[in-house]
Amino acid sequence: MAIEEPIEENEVEKRIVQDSTEKYKVRIENVNGWYGSKKAIKDVNLNVKEKSVTAFIGPSGCGKTTLLRCLNRMHEMTPGAHADGRVVVDGIDIYDKSIDPVVIRRRIGMVFQKPNPFPTMSIFDNVAAGLRLNGLKNKTIVREIVEESLRNAALWDEVKNELDKPGMSLSGGQQQRLCIARALAMQPEVLLMDEPTSSLDPIGSSKIEELLRTLKDSVTIIIVTHNMQQAARVSDFTAFMYLGDLIEYGLTNQIFMKPEKELTERYISGKFG
Amino acid sequence: MTRLLDIGLQRITNLIMDMGHLSVDLVNSALESYEKGTMLRSQIFEGSEKLRFLQIEVTDFATELIARYQPVAKDLRSIQSFMDASYGFSRFGRYAYDIAEVLDTIGPLPDCDKSQVTNMAKTVKEMIQLSVTSLEKLDKNASQKLYMMDDSVDSIFRNYLKKAITQTKKRNYEPRCYISALLILRYLERISDHACYIGDCVTYVVTGDPSPRR
Repeated sequence: MAIEEPIEENEVEKRIVQDSTEKYKVRIENVNGWYGSKKAIKDVNLNVKEKSVTAFIGPSGCGKTTLLRCLNRMHEMTPGAHADGRVVVDGIDIYDKSIDPVVIRRRIGMVFQKPNPFPTMSIFDNVAAGLRLNGLKNKTIVREIVEESLRNAALWDEVKNELDKPGMSLSGGQQQRLCIARALAMQPEVLLMDEPTSSLDPIGSSKIEELLRTLKDSVTIIIVTHNMQQAARVSDFTAFMYLGDLIEYGLTNQIFMKPEKELTERYISGKFG
Repeated sequence: MTRLLDIGLQRITNLIMDMGHLSVDLVNSALESYEKGTMLRSQIFEGSEKLRFLQIEVTDFATELIARYQPVAKDLRSIQSFMDASYGFSRFGRYAYDIAEVLDTIGPLPDCDKSQVTNMAKTVKEMIQLSVTSLEKLDKNASQKLYMMDDSVDSIFRNYLKKAITQTKKRNYEPRCYISALLILRYLERISDHACYIGDCVTYVVTGDPSPRR
């Protein structure tokens, strides 16, 4: 049996650093977000682990949605808004001048607070729209992707016999899952969700929450939520923001059982906010 | 503005403190009955049962608070620890009853040397009181002190056990004295352990760090 040569201590350290870096899907480095001259997020640094669910929590106006929108360059679509710093996805800075934001938004999907299916389109077409827009014409492949996306969004069994019905005919919870299916059809690597259950009833919300558990096997999910119990239920990591600052970030059970910062403790315990 | 959860936490704290004070009284009464030879079995049984019901009330109420308010962080640790502590206090009551029952079963022991029990009882009474006040004041430093006292309690018990074994070979061996003392020392030793667990609960509430037992 070959005897392995001993590894130098600094070499071990280097390998550990490399390993831990590789596990991060998204690295947020010194990100600031602005609305005109108003700074909405301040120098945020945070690493998002691949195939995990990360929740952003904090009181209204703390910058969590702004930060989320910085992660696929949607923030800059708001008139007067801009961001600086680096958002590195798989080693590529999405704010690099050579990067096309449209391509980024394809890789980093987004689901919004209110379900927003395309109102004139059928269930099928809602999911297929993005594919067609990107030039996919093969009907068989489109059909396969639509079915797979609806299955992954846990909606297939409920709509498989009525794919031609308008997307708007579905219930609120189903519409939201349709929007998730629409995002999944583009096969994103990261899925951003901005309070995806805030307009849903408890049954609709719990279906989305169950869905997150399954989806994280293939997609890295970042969710903004006002519902702390939801963050505690669905996320692996939680980031608490306050007045544009990232106050605390860590494992969800750590944040909810033993937060390090007094401010986090007070917020999650409902003592302010 | 007071959180609704705070109202519930205050109520559960009051229940726990009632349990703490009742358990102190019961253990004191049981030990006094042994020392003075007074029969208090039925009164102590009543108290012990009251503690048991209070423990059920604490657990039910704690579960209700979790279901209604989904507490987190220190609030959740407090509720979890209150449930653990209520079990500890109910055990104090049960051991007080066991102590009282020794006298009832074996009969009066006027001629026995009770110094070892008296000696250990002094420490254990202090420990019970300390566990109650540490919970009341959330004194995280009490845990360490309780463990030190527990060491001395364990040591008294072990030494007496050895002594009792050697005494069996002697002519003037009086089994009633040794058996009663051993039983009571054993109950006190268990009370001492539970006092330590209550100290651990306090540390967990305050720091969030699991106790060595956990």
